[in-house]
Amino acid sequence: MKRYGEHRFPGKLFVVEGIDGSGKSTQLTLLHQWLQAEGYGVVFSEWNSSPLVRETTKRGKKKQTLTPATFSLIHATDFADRMEHNILPLLKAGAVVLCDRYIYTAFARDVVRGMDPLWVRELYSFAVKPTAAFYFRVPLDVAMKRILDGRSGVKHYEAGMDLGLSEDPEESFRIFQGRILEAYEKMVPEFDLTTIDATRPIEEQQTHMRQIAKAKLAQAKRLRVAP
Amino acid sequence: MRETYGVVLPGMNLAELTGKLIVIEGTDGVGRSTQIRLLRPWLEQQGRAVLDTAIKRSELAGKGIQQAKEGHTLGRITLSLFYATDFADRLEHEILPALRAGFVVLTDRYIYSLMARAIVRGADSKWIRNAYSFALKPDAIFYLRIGVDDLIPRVVFSTGFDFWESGMDIHPSEDMYDSFRKYQTELLGEFDKLAREYNFEVIDATADVRTVFEHLRDGVARVLSGEPREPLFSVPIPSAEAPEAAVKKVVEMPAPPKPAALTVEESPPTAQALANAAEGEASR
Repeated sequence: MKRYGEHRFPGKLFVVEGIDGSGKSTQLTLLHQWLQAEGYGVVFSEWNSSPLVRETTKRGKKKQTLTPATFSLIHATDFADRMEHNILPLLKAGAVVLCDRYIYTAFARDVVRGMDPLWVRELYSFAVKPTAAFYFRVPLDVAMKRILDGRSGVKHYEAGMDLGLSEDPEESFRIFQGRILEAYEKMVPEFDLTTIDATRPIEEQQTHMRQIAKAKLAQAKRLRVAP
Repeated sequence: MRETYGVVLPGMNLAELTGKLIVIEGTDGVGRSTQIRLLRPWLEQQGRAVLDTAIKRSELAGKGIQQAKEGHTLGRITLSLFYATDFADRLEHEILPALRAGFVVLTDRYIYSLMARAIVRGADSKWIRNAYSFALKPDAIFYLRIGVDDLIPRVVFSTGFDFWESGMDIHPSEDMYDSFRKYQTELLGEFDKLAREYNFEVIDATADVRTVFEHLRDGVARVLSGEPREPLFSVPIPSAEAPEAAVKKVVEMPAPPKPAALTVEESPPTAQALANAAEGEASR
């Protein structure tokens, strides 16, 4: 098995990270639109979306039999499937690949669930290093407000209810997300994450993102010349 | 004191695990399940509660692996991780609870088969050892060893060639026989390396069922009576590597199980062991 690390493929890999409610998915959608308009071949890949593993994850979540170890491993399996069948071949072919959540999500969540940090990092060592990893930094209260306003409730694992932090899902969610936020902050220097201030207006954040992406796209292939 | 091969999982209280974990390893078609079918009643006659378990049977991922393999769509890293998920589920939901309750757990394969298969399929050996480093170190690992020439007639004349057991996913251009031979040879080579590294007790699986069983029974009786561990190297493993290379390898691995024989004084078999053995003898 190759340890890819910094890849030399013609494609580019941009990933977004941040706690729930940081607005990262919105920003990635806007980046996607712009890249397509610029004439790049763009492909999107979402965390926990491999059809191969979906049934197993669903079964574990429904029956609530997932432990920190199996939670971690099933997400790694999902990620490996997308890496092997999707992300790598696309990068080789010269596409711009966009990922909503990447290995840093696993590093944050699994470690908060009690898994050994070095074990998780080594588990994902087959992953390609992104061209840029955008981290959407947002205070916990702002993110909580965005999430709870827009939804009727949070799911069991999403709220970290498996950790027994609190009987109240909302309170559990707050504690869990708070710990994940701390984990992200520690990873900013470790993995050289590109920090975006997610409290700024949406357009401003997007302009920042596009500037950074543009600088990295110099040799990327275009499907057609931009109008 | 119990140990894992590296990391301890959240909620895994090692001091509570009072049962015994006994692993039967060996390649496809070597007779592992036959031996477990014989060992279980023998243990139960002695009043030991037994859990027998095997790879690919977990509640969580067993079905998913089966479905994915039927589609032949799995990438190599993905397959390794799917197996690791399955193993973790079995460890946490079957093996650990049984060990907490004081059972003898007989497992048909353990992490070694999974690691050997992954390595033969090109997985990085350091990576795969890390992935399984949460596994509990067993009380004994019995390896039913067989050469590829003895294995072929057993498999072909009973079940025929299986796509995965023939490694057709890695040698798709070969016919089943050539692929099986090549794949199983590589696998057996990998097992021999693991046998040295993890201190397997090697049993010659070309012997008849009863002889293999007698070896296993003596080994298990010794483990249960807490006697010093003395690997039953009834088959000397050919030393393929220079000693230097072997030493180097150990450094980057989680520490292999301590040979108890070095730390425990030689003692005659306990009365209990003799009684157990006699009972086993009488019951057959």
